[in-house]
Amino acid sequence: MEPGKEKGTATPREQNQSPRPNLKPVTMNKNLRKKKKKDLEELKKEVDMDDHKLTLDELSAKYSVDLTRGHSLKDAQEILFINGPNSLTPPPSIPNWVKFCKQMFGGFSLLLWTGAFLCFLAYSINLRYNEKADKDNLYLGIVLSAVVLITGCFSYYQESKSSKIMESFKNMVPQQALVIRDGERMQINVKDVVLGDLVEVKGGDQVPADIRVISAQGCKVDNSSLTGESEPQSRCPDCTHENPLETRNIIFFSTNCVEGTARGIVISTGDNTVMGRIASLTSGLTMGQTPIAVEIEHFIHLITAVAVFLGVTFFFLSLILGYGWLDAVIFLIGIIVANVPEGLLATVTVCLTLTAKRMARKNCLVKNLEAVETLGSTSTICSDKTGTLTQNRMTVAHLWFDKTVYEADTSEEQTTGKTFPKSSDTWFYLARIAGLCNRADFKPHQESVPVAKRATTGDASESALLKFIEQSYNSVNEMREKNPKVAEIPFNSTNKYQMSIHLLEDNPQAHMLMMKGAPEKILDFCTSFMLNGQEFPMDEEMKVDFQNAYLELGGMGERVLGFCYLNLPSNFSKGFQFNTDELNFPMESLCFVGLISMIDPPRTAVPDAVGKCRNAGIKVIMVTGDHPITAKAIAKSVGIISEANETAEEMAARLNIPVSQLNTKSIKAIVVHGSELKDMDSNQLDHILKTYKEIVFARTSPQQKLIIVEGCQRLGAIVAVTGDGVNDSPALKKADIGIAMGITGSDVSKQAADMILLDDNFASIVTGVEEGRLIFDNLKKSIAYTLTSNIPEITPFLMFIILSIPLPLGTITILCIDLGTDMVPAISLAYESPESDIMKRLPRNPKTDNLVNHRLIGMAYGQIGMIQALAGFFTYFVILAENGFKPLDLLGIRLYWDDARLNDLEDSYGQQWTYEQRKVMEFTCQTSFFISIVIVQWADLIICKTRRNSLFKQGMKINWWFCAIPYSALIFIYDEGRKLIIRRRPGGWLEKETYY
Amino acid sequence: MWAMLQTLNDEVPKYRDQIPSPGLMVFPKPLTALEYTYSMSKPPTYEKFTEDLKRFLEPYSVEEQKNLTNCPDGTPFKQSGPVYQACQFPVSLLQNCSGVNDTDFGYSKGQPCILVKMNRIIELMPDGSPQIICDAKDADIANILTYPDHGLIDLKYFPYYGKKRHVGYRQPLVAVQVIFESSATKKEVTVECKIGGSSNLKNEDDRDKFLGRVVFKVTVST
Repeated sequence: MEPGKEKGTATPREQNQSPRPNLKPVTMNKNLRKKKKKDLEELKKEVDMDDHKLTLDELSAKYSVDLTRGHSLKDAQEILFINGPNSLTPPPSIPNWVKFCKQMFGGFSLLLWTGAFLCFLAYSINLRYNEKADKDNLYLGIVLSAVVLITGCFSYYQESKSSKIMESFKNMVPQQALVIRDGERMQINVKDVVLGDLVEVKGGDQVPADIRVISAQGCKVDNSSLTGESEPQSRCPDCTHENPLETRNIIFFSTNCVEGTARGIVISTGDNTVMGRIASLTSGLTMGQTPIAVEIEHFIHLITAVAVFLGVTFFFLSLILGYGWLDAVIFLIGIIVANVPEGLLATVTVCLTLTAKRMARKNCLVKNLEAVETLGSTSTICSDKTGTLTQNRMTVAHLWFDKTVYEADTSEEQTTGKTFPKSSDTWFYLARIAGLCNRADFKPHQESVPVAKRATTGDASESALLKFIEQSYNSVNEMREKNPKVAEIPFNSTNKYQMSIHLLEDNPQAHMLMMKGAPEKILDFCTSFMLNGQEFPMDEEMKVDFQNAYLELGGMGERVLGFCYLNLPSNFSKGFQFNTDELNFPMESLCFVGLISMIDPPRTAVPDAVGKCRNAGIKVIMVTGDHPITAKAIAKSVGIISEANETAEEMAARLNIPVSQLNTKSIKAIVVHGSELKDMDSNQLDHILKTYKEIVFARTSPQQKLIIVEGCQRLGAIVAVTGDGVNDSPALKKADIGIAMGITGSDVSKQAADMILLDDNFASIVTGVEEGRLIFDNLKKSIAYTLTSNIPEITPFLMFIILSIPLPLGTITILCIDLGTDMVPAISLAYESPESDIMKRLPRNPKTDNLVNHRLIGMAYGQIGMIQALAGFFTYFVILAENGFKPLDLLGIRLYWDDARLNDLEDSYGQQWTYEQRKVMEFTCQTSFFISIVIVQWADLIICKTRRNSLFKQGMKINWWFCAIPYSALIFIYDEGRKLIIRRRPGGWLEKETYY
Repeated sequence: MWAMLQTLNDEVPKYRDQIPSPGLMVFPKPLTALEYTYSMSKPPTYEKFTEDLKRFLEPYSVEEQKNLTNCPDGTPFKQSGPVYQACQFPVSLLQNCSGVNDTDFGYSKGQPCILVKMNRIIELMPDGSPQIICDAKDADIANILTYPDHGLIDLKYFPYYGKKRHVGYRQPLVAVQVIFESSATKKEVTVECKIGGSSNLKNEDDRDKFLGRVVFKVTVST
């Protein structure tokens, strides 16, 4: 039987998905679709499969496979041939040389290359038409090329260290899989696993493909790499949920089976698996330009415009002034090249590197240099909940006993000192049950670690109880030794309780039955309750109280457990053999003790950090896979939903009117459920993102996270996304800045991210934002400083053309300024401390608030630059005048001055100069012009330290500058004295010792 | 800027250390490189030179110099102002190249005259007895005659006190006449002139090819 034909008919949905006529069997379609260019829109859609809903027979029919014997070898080979191997297609990798060229010819480099090319052009024109060509242009061209090459290599090196997403995906592919074909178990290479294969997975294995479970024994899988949920989940053959990601009868490619065994049918392989889709989605996403790249591009446009404008103006001006075409062209090139800020590329790179290092010290590891600034422009943060906002550690938050709710200490360092009446007898019972009816245990050798941070075995809730009892009651191990366990029924999802029977330390012959579990289940077992250590029969009042407490704690998003016990009658004394399967002992009429609720509490620093973000105008959106109630509770406790605001549902409840009658304008907060989001189109999403200030997305899938990020970006926001699971990697990649978690994050998420939070703490993002904003401000200062010297560098050349004076500043000296004396000071501005409270202003608007705007250019070029040029020209004219050439006589002298055969040029005093003597004079002038620029740049550097504040306010302690001056004087006097003695006493002791 | 100009001395530049030693230059200055190329039979090819020479020597005529001082030979003519006098430089010192007898300065006869002059430098005082020594690179082709004899420059023309103070100053000249040997088949010679006889005037600078020396080429065709 041809396997595909049946499938084609069995899955009509598949036909609809495929845009082409369904001439080929589905397997073929899938195969061809895979080979087609990946349709990202399709990938962004929810995982759409119905295999989990099929009965075993339907499944068997769909994949035309025998559920006990598996495929025949021949079929398997055929399918393998059609579908290709079960592995992820690596993304079309860009060859290294292309990446290298991107670094070499992208953005700023292009400007410099153009400059270099123009230099070589000017040089060759010169060479062709003049016998004695000026080598300056050649040198300039060489230096420009060298600058681009060096910076390009540096950036390439930085870049090549990161971005290797697919490699970590590749490593996830397991090597061997156990399949059943022709009724025989065989180990085959995972690549050879095909659709419909009958596969067996056991504890410790990595799952070889997406598998529909048909039978399982105690199977638990760790889906953390896919969904971020760290708790292992049990798997069974029954469909428990509509959503394929949540149902229990599917196990996913590349996740881990923790314990037990399972047998199932492969329902998708390779790129079609859920993991494969995420991988393709991630690698298929194109990242937008980083904001700083946009800014630099903007800057290049500005500079180019200025350069070309000046160049063309002077081109025509020189033609009008009577220069030849050739000269005019060389002037044009010269002016354009002179406008190129050679040192800026290096300055920006170094500034960003420095900040990246500083951020690394604050636990933000930046992978992509440009991301340093991106964080500063961030206007929206889409944050994960688990681990980022919370401690990722279940902790006991509340207790309810003696009809009172008590608060437990949930802070990371146990510092709040909250307490509750430990003297109550009820507490004694509660603590005993929580400690004894508990399978969690501390891992050994952790005596020195604080209780809250110790590693434990067992599930999160039990560990939380264990730690809580250890902290607030007594050593649990001691308690367990004294009250040995004789029987237990472990927790399972059907009965929803856990029971254990212990011998009692205070009455070694008697047994006590202890039980904990879902509160409503526990209450059903109880006929009495405990109040202040006394047992009372259960009454309606107690039930109402219980309900209220349960709702209150549940409403805070907490996981609530109920506790009860029963003193077994004396006929079950020591030595009685308890049978937990057939229940040879009473398990009813228990005594209810209390409730304990747990939550993964927010990190201590987070509420403060969220507040800072809010002050800084950054919108914090919570995107979580968790339940809406828990999400909202955490959002409220960290301030993502602020105290003053309430959601529509809450307001409706408070005002006691239906939601539809509310005035929606006054509502600023909303909790959006993943299933609602699924049905929204992009306009509705935009509407939500625009209308509400405080948004929580709960029960979201990875694809939805991506949609949310795109929605924010559509509204013009610069979005930072945090995440740790593989499921987050598409959103991380799509975000303007993806932030992965250093401790809990999967490798794939770290690869997709631009930045890694080494301590997983949301608060670190805020320090990152601060650094990012600071570097943006400081880069402005650096650029303002660097650009200013452009004017005193260009004007000499312009004056040389217009006024025909000897050239006041040579090309080499310009290079000395740009790549020498200007560079280090410009970098030093990166260390400038913030002027205002940068965390109290709104994020910059990427459209209007540019790194370099016309005001900066106007200030640098038009004002400070002009003053600097004046300084240079003043020096230049002073020196020439003092040597015999008065300013007025210099005008128009250029042709004679530069004539190498004219060796008796007369100055203003009648003296005659040879060419060489004039040139020495000219070089002297250029040197002093250079020195003038350096000196005025000192002042420029100091003024660039601030943009608004007075320098004196910013901490320029002028008087400290003068401390060393007496010592300079001392050096002069000392050495002049030494030389005086040497001159007076030639050959003396001093000369022998100190004359060099 | 104006204030700076006010600080300047009108008579003497503030610094003169950039030109410690004078350069040497020829006159007339050919349009291109220092090459005198002309044809004896075609006057237009050398008329530019002779015209330039005539104009240049006009201030040196007896008529023009009658107000100048006849200074004693052989000693520096040091003055202390406030009025500075200039010494006469009789054009007759240039003998055959004075243009008095031969208005073509020997060009028409294939024996062109070229003036060599030392750059003016304020208050420069040469040691010894400075002279311009000229040699042809190839002595077989041409003889070089210098006027005044031995190319001597009299010390009475030093020191120079600047354009403003030293009105009427006549720069001392040395004329060089190139006399080709009749046997020479090709009338082309390179002449090098140097300042000699004075220890403080440099003539062998590596970089500056015109410091105390000058090289030019004369090519005469029929």
